[in-house]
Amino acid sequence: MALAIPYYPVNEFGPLMKGLVIGGVGILHVFLAQFAIGGGMLLYYFEGRAQRGDADARKFVDGYFRVLVLVSFVFGALTGVAMWFTTIQVGARTIGLMVDEFHWLWATEWVWFSIEVCAGYAFYRFGSRLDDRARRSLLGLYAFAAWMSLFWINGILSWQLTPGGWLDGNGMWAGFFNPSFWPSLFFRTAVATTLAALVACVVINTMDLPRERKAELIRRASRFAAPIALMPIFALWFLAVIPEDSRTWLLGGSLPMTMFVGVAAGASMLIGAYVIVGIMIKRLTINIATATLLLVLAFGATAAGEFVREGARKPFTVRGVLYSTSLTPAEVAHLRVTGATVGDPYPLRDEARYPTAQLQRGAKVFRVLCDACHTKHGSNSLVELVRTWTDDQMRLNIAKLQRTKGFMPPFAGNAEDVEALVQMLKWEVAGTPRSWPASADPAVVAQIARWLDEVGTSPMGGR
Amino acid sequence: MWPFTGEVHGVWLLIYILTFALHAVFISYVLVGTAYALVQAVRRSDDPIAERVRDVLPFMLGCGITAGVAPLLFLQLLYQRHFYSANLILGPRWGAVVPALIIGFYALYVAKSSVKWRRHALAAGTVCFLFVAWSWTEIHLLMLDEPAWRTMYTAGTRIYGDGGVAPRLLLWLGAMVTLFATVSIWWASGAQRRRLAVMALAGRVIVGLAAAWLVTQGASIEGAAHGWLYLLIGALVIEAGGWVWIWRVPDGVGALVATAAGTAALVAGAVVREAPRLAILEPPRPAALEAGGFPTFVATFAFGVLAIAWIVQTIRRGTRPRPDS
Repeated sequence: MALAIPYYPVNEFGPLMKGLVIGGVGILHVFLAQFAIGGGMLLYYFEGRAQRGDADARKFVDGYFRVLVLVSFVFGALTGVAMWFTTIQVGARTIGLMVDEFHWLWATEWVWFSIEVCAGYAFYRFGSRLDDRARRSLLGLYAFAAWMSLFWINGILSWQLTPGGWLDGNGMWAGFFNPSFWPSLFFRTAVATTLAALVACVVINTMDLPRERKAELIRRASRFAAPIALMPIFALWFLAVIPEDSRTWLLGGSLPMTMFVGVAAGASMLIGAYVIVGIMIKRLTINIATATLLLVLAFGATAAGEFVREGARKPFTVRGVLYSTSLTPAEVAHLRVTGATVGDPYPLRDEARYPTAQLQRGAKVFRVLCDACHTKHGSNSLVELVRTWTDDQMRLNIAKLQRTKGFMPPFAGNAEDVEALVQMLKWEVAGTPRSWPASADPAVVAQIARWLDEVGTSPMGGR
Repeated sequence: MWPFTGEVHGVWLLIYILTFALHAVFISYVLVGTAYALVQAVRRSDDPIAERVRDVLPFMLGCGITAGVAPLLFLQLLYQRHFYSANLILGPRWGAVVPALIIGFYALYVAKSSVKWRRHALAAGTVCFLFVAWSWTEIHLLMLDEPAWRTMYTAGTRIYGDGGVAPRLLLWLGAMVTLFATVSIWWASGAQRRRLAVMALAGRVIVGLAAAWLVTQGASIEGAAHGWLYLLIGALVIEAGGWVWIWRVPDGVGALVATAAGTAALVAGAVVREAPRLAILEPPRPAALEAGGFPTFVATFAFGVLAIAWIVQTIRRGTRPRPDS
């Protein structure tokens, strides 16, 4: 049966691989959005203290912090829109599938976000003219709506890695409340409160107060970082429920991934140790430089954590359903027969650069199957990766791609596609000479076809 | 009722149209309000409308962005392949709408808080918001022009230079002027209302001229969009009557007439705008067709309406002048 595979135009981002593009926007968005969530909770707490007569708490609530929360949720909203547009740029089919599957829950999340924006703005603009009860109610509604926003989006994002019973046809809710839903939600909540506490420590240091009163405010704010102590439990829970192959890569199977796990864990441990042991137990104070440094560490931990979350999904973008090449397993099997590029309606932008039709085909195969994670000469460069490989090694490794590296998807093309890609890579390694002989040995193609048949189209990690 | 037919498409389309109309109200206020405040700042005028506008612009932009998320979501259900393809063809040039909005947002804060930098900030904001309006007009038309995709992609062209972009953008800008006046009139009285009435009518004249320009280019609405075009024209006529009434009697019920008819015109206009695009409506994909969660959305939406109504009531009660003050 013919499959209607939607081919989208492919953009390149110079030396940046697409993961870096979406990662850059995503990390900023997550950092700001999580701060806005924790910030709402922290404001609610300090407002309660202010209403019980703590003048410094009142000053804190009405000062920079309120503005920071406002700025972060507006900037967070805009970077959220940026996430949508960027995801379309780097993986249109992935975001399309997520929208298709969860549009009503996304719309639900939008309602909570709308409540968050209205309550936040109302407090920002009219808070000084409202009575205590109204102020606290508005902040409470803001904080709850912000957290609910996280609740809904967390289910959609965690579904990508662990779709759980959804894969067995148990419906959308089985996908939403998937195995990593709760550990992710608790983990992110702990991150949100910790970020808010760290920003508060910076802001309190800028307030015009005597040292001991600042220290008292900091001690109270730092309580919001206490959930960081539970983060190892949530992280272990998360590790326990993710697919085995993903876990293996995080725990040593893939050195870059393991390093990022180490960065996230190490930075979180340092922050946790300073806040819990230093500020809460030893009652040390914290100056603006140290508070800022801890916040930078928290940004690093967030960045590393997001990298781990994204990387753990490989070779899928939606586990068991959609590969990082934006192809389904059924489509991979289909393209093994038809070839990867026959349905692609878009010509190469730089077709004239390639001296032969085979090299042009290789470039198209690269665009359809490799471009999602690799560049030719920039970051995660494929040309540099294969530079020292022999011809047959290249053919074998590409044909049996999922065996070459367990986090690679199966090659979604036929033997001629493999050979065209090999020739294009060799041509790039050779410095793009003006002429290049066509590789037309039937024995070579037959050997590649045998390798493709041997390896099949199943991924190594199962679904 | 056309075009809200079909079990799934109808609901998506209805939500898309209504949330798009809501989004249009806020962004119209932001774009025209920023330009209006800029003109008044250049004139160094103590215009009370401009003062009010500067004060609420950041909030209105926040509302506009938030309200814009919903139509953006449903757009991806209705026209996924077309929207994504147009997105990808325009590429980073399209993505520039986000930094433009961020710059515009902070420019509005600067304009609100700094007299010294006000004119520069408002000028920057106006440019940013015009860029966003132009980009949306462009992508809307590019979605409809599938034959252009391949050509543009191959050539690496990031600007869709179709002749329909300029008149369509002009039509929108005219409609936005009237929408701005419709919102602003509820905070104005007397002479300010008369000025807004003139602006609103001028906006409608621009719409008429832009529509005529589009017709000369061959634009037409097939079958008058099942009567929605006539509803739109009728609403526009009543609305114009309302604005004339306001001009003559600024503090009468003309504001109510103009707002009611303007709202009807906005919704009918949104349907008429959608009519040509319905030809590329994509069949619901199985995943979208089978997606659950609709009751959850409805319940949350009802809660959201109540919560926002409570916020408004709390503010009104809390900021009402007390008898003893």
